[in-house]
Amino acid sequence: MDVFGSFALLLAFVCAVYAVVGGIAAIITRHPLLVKSTRQAGVATCGLIFLATFSLEYLFFTDNFSVSYVVSHSNRDLPTFYKIAALWSGMEGSLLFWSFLLAIYVLSVLIAYRNKNGELMPYVGVVMAGVQLFFLTLNNFVESPFKALAAPGAGGVMSFITRADGNGLNPLLQYPEMVIHPPNLYSGYTGFTIPFAFALGALLARYPGEKWIHLTRKWTMIAWMFQSAGILLGAHWAYAVLGWGGYWGWDPVENASLLPWLTGTAFLHSVMMQEKRGMMKVWNVWLVFCTFLLCMLGTFLTRSGVVSSVHAFAQSNIGPWFVAFMGITLAVCLGAYLKNRDYLASENQLDSVISRESSFLFNNLLFLVACIAVLSGTLFPVFSEWFTGNRISVGAPYFNRVNIPVGLLILFLTGVGPLLAWRKTSRESLKRNFGWPLLTGLAVGAVAFIFGFRAFYSLTSLILCVFVAATILLEFYRGAKVIRARSGASFAACAIDLTMRNTRRYGGYIIHIGMVFVFLGLAGAAFNRDVQKSMQVGESMQIGPYTLVLQTTDTKPEKNYTAQRLLVEVLHGNQPMMMMFPEKRQFLTNKENGTMVAIYSTLKEDLYVVFAGTDPDSQLPVIHAFLNPLVKWIWFGGVTVVFGTLIALLPNRRSVLVLAPAREPSPVEPLPHGVTASAILREGHD
Amino acid sequence: MTKGRTVVATFVLLALATLPLIVPVEAQQFSDRAKNIGSQLKCMCGSCSMTAAGCSHPGGEFSGPCPTAKGMLQQVDQHAAKGETDEQIVQAFVQEYGTTVYAEPPKSGFSLVAWVMPTVYLVFGALVVIFVISRWVRKNGSEPAGHAATAKAISPELLERAKRLAERETED
Repeated sequence: MDVFGSFALLLAFVCAVYAVVGGIAAIITRHPLLVKSTRQAGVATCGLIFLATFSLEYLFFTDNFSVSYVVSHSNRDLPTFYKIAALWSGMEGSLLFWSFLLAIYVLSVLIAYRNKNGELMPYVGVVMAGVQLFFLTLNNFVESPFKALAAPGAGGVMSFITRADGNGLNPLLQYPEMVIHPPNLYSGYTGFTIPFAFALGALLARYPGEKWIHLTRKWTMIAWMFQSAGILLGAHWAYAVLGWGGYWGWDPVENASLLPWLTGTAFLHSVMMQEKRGMMKVWNVWLVFCTFLLCMLGTFLTRSGVVSSVHAFAQSNIGPWFVAFMGITLAVCLGAYLKNRDYLASENQLDSVISRESSFLFNNLLFLVACIAVLSGTLFPVFSEWFTGNRISVGAPYFNRVNIPVGLLILFLTGVGPLLAWRKTSRESLKRNFGWPLLTGLAVGAVAFIFGFRAFYSLTSLILCVFVAATILLEFYRGAKVIRARSGASFAACAIDLTMRNTRRYGGYIIHIGMVFVFLGLAGAAFNRDVQKSMQVGESMQIGPYTLVLQTTDTKPEKNYTAQRLLVEVLHGNQPMMMMFPEKRQFLTNKENGTMVAIYSTLKEDLYVVFAGTDPDSQLPVIHAFLNPLVKWIWFGGVTVVFGTLIALLPNRRSVLVLAPAREPSPVEPLPHGVTASAILREGHD
Repeated sequence: MTKGRTVVATFVLLALATLPLIVPVEAQQFSDRAKNIGSQLKCMCGSCSMTAAGCSHPGGEFSGPCPTAKGMLQQVDQHAAKGETDEQIVQAFVQEYGTTVYAEPPKSGFSLVAWVMPTVYLVFGALVVIFVISRWVRKNGSEPAGHAATAKAISPELLERAKRLAERETED
């Protein structure tokens, strides 16, 4: 099966070469047969990548320890569930997994638009195949996952061998979320290839109008949703497995995942300027280009060892390949832009400084500033070494200080932006939309302050969270009220009806509510507390309102590991409340340790109990207990964001417009110089 | 009380009702001096990128300060016992481990760049955005205001296109 997998990968490489070279020839000659054959080569590339990926999984499931990658990342007793995750637990497999996910996207695009957009698709096909070709080059010639295991035999001659068992999977990865976190994150990274391909393809083809934006909106949102879910799942994994009581450590790999998310979010907002007003065309194209390049940069940072990271399980010397690919990509983007920049001429006009357009510009500015600040902070150790010869570390305290103010400004705009009118917002409208929400936020802030919620950033975050939530709920309320007046249905039914009539708008509001929950959860971090104590059986420790009593310890042998467990009784006041079971696991094959944190989670706070290990002096078990307020809101926010994105992806139930029947958005030529749509309508109706 | 005010009052009350969920019961505990200084220093074990005070050493035998981090915190106490200031203690670690021991860049020398640049990005970016917006507004304001002439010249096609554009702009 390893030979089969290698062969499938090699054939995929050949097909990708044809899809690129043939695709370029098809664009030049416009020969229909050539266009068709390159499209089919693209489909074949994807099919062959699927075969190669399934072959590698088959090798894991059949414990084939003649393959080096399987030996390094699996063992016989590894549960089947984790044999799936072993695929992406190392460099070679994760790169193949990248190709696999990209192939799913590419195949979906090729099938979805097989008979549509004939002028654009050959360009898009070439760009997608070009990206696939890069990863297939790595899969085949740099980091092949199908390398046979070899060892020096008699006389020092290398010979192929088969091991009786493998080294096992890194214990930190043996957790259910590790089976879903990387696929989500990688789906985000790879998914941004599609809007990139459409943007570059449209620029190269000088494809008219805003149609490429409409075509890619779904794909961008899907990629963004996966990226968001992947980041939050990673944070939850760090929280539940690493036993440090936190969820985000500003590690370079975490930062790498945040960078394209920030520019992708900026794009999802600024794209509306192009759709609605024909503005910011150059900016949007470059935002997509940057998002894709940041995906590549993130992968480069993660795997090249340029910056030190705790995610060291996937590092090798593939850095120069990524640098070369990013260089070529940037050169192509720049060349296409310089050649066809007149195609991106925008209709930039505003009636007032206070308008939706302005809020989008500031929104984009803040996302970009956050992105550049995170990027420059991540790379600062490298820069400082270049300039001064000393490597200066940049850790979590720096990133928190720099990014929290920017984050709060973004949160403020989340409330303000959507309720500003396009072109111009009147003073009355500002008062109507923001007066009560602002007062509500300040009132809640004042009460919170009295109750001791006094950390500056947390209090500001709380006020803004209430303000933003209030603006959004008011918007739902007003819309639902109009429908209710007509239909007489309940408010909830009317709110659902309202959402389904304009899924994009109200899905967006739900996403904003999700972000409010996330910020609320982050605000709680200022009030985290922790206590660490060596405990004898029967001894107790106090944290907040909870008393933890160590009842006993036991050892639980499992198939793949031995768990040492503490049985901890929790009392709230003096009332027995529950038992908690923090664990320390020692994995048998690689003798590495893992932690299973016991968490009692409520909307108010998390009681987070870690069996830290054994005190080397007293030989007593050590319990490290944390009381982390509001953490659950972060995960709740993540679920809400995903839900909102899914709503926004649904088609509208029916048109809400009365001006004209719903129709396929078509390229609209600019109106005569100096004439606005509202002016013409006003004049026309007079 | 009008219907609108009733709704707003309900709204405020609901928001206030959620407060018990989010207000911590007790004030924040203050950490000791070693923990404070330890949070400015990176754990130098080489296996984690956490601070000496916040080291949990994932994957190690002990989840919590690893021996290196513990040693660093003990060193902080020893320096403190000699009556050294916080700055002197941090400098003692810089002399031992080099500048990589900083958890965040110091606010002096080349490292100052790391602190200044985000503000520069923000201020410069804001100036650019303000310039762009004012140019767009000015561009619109400087157009000839020939409404009457335009109205007479409006053809049905132009009106239809304007409707389409207005529809597009007011959809969301």
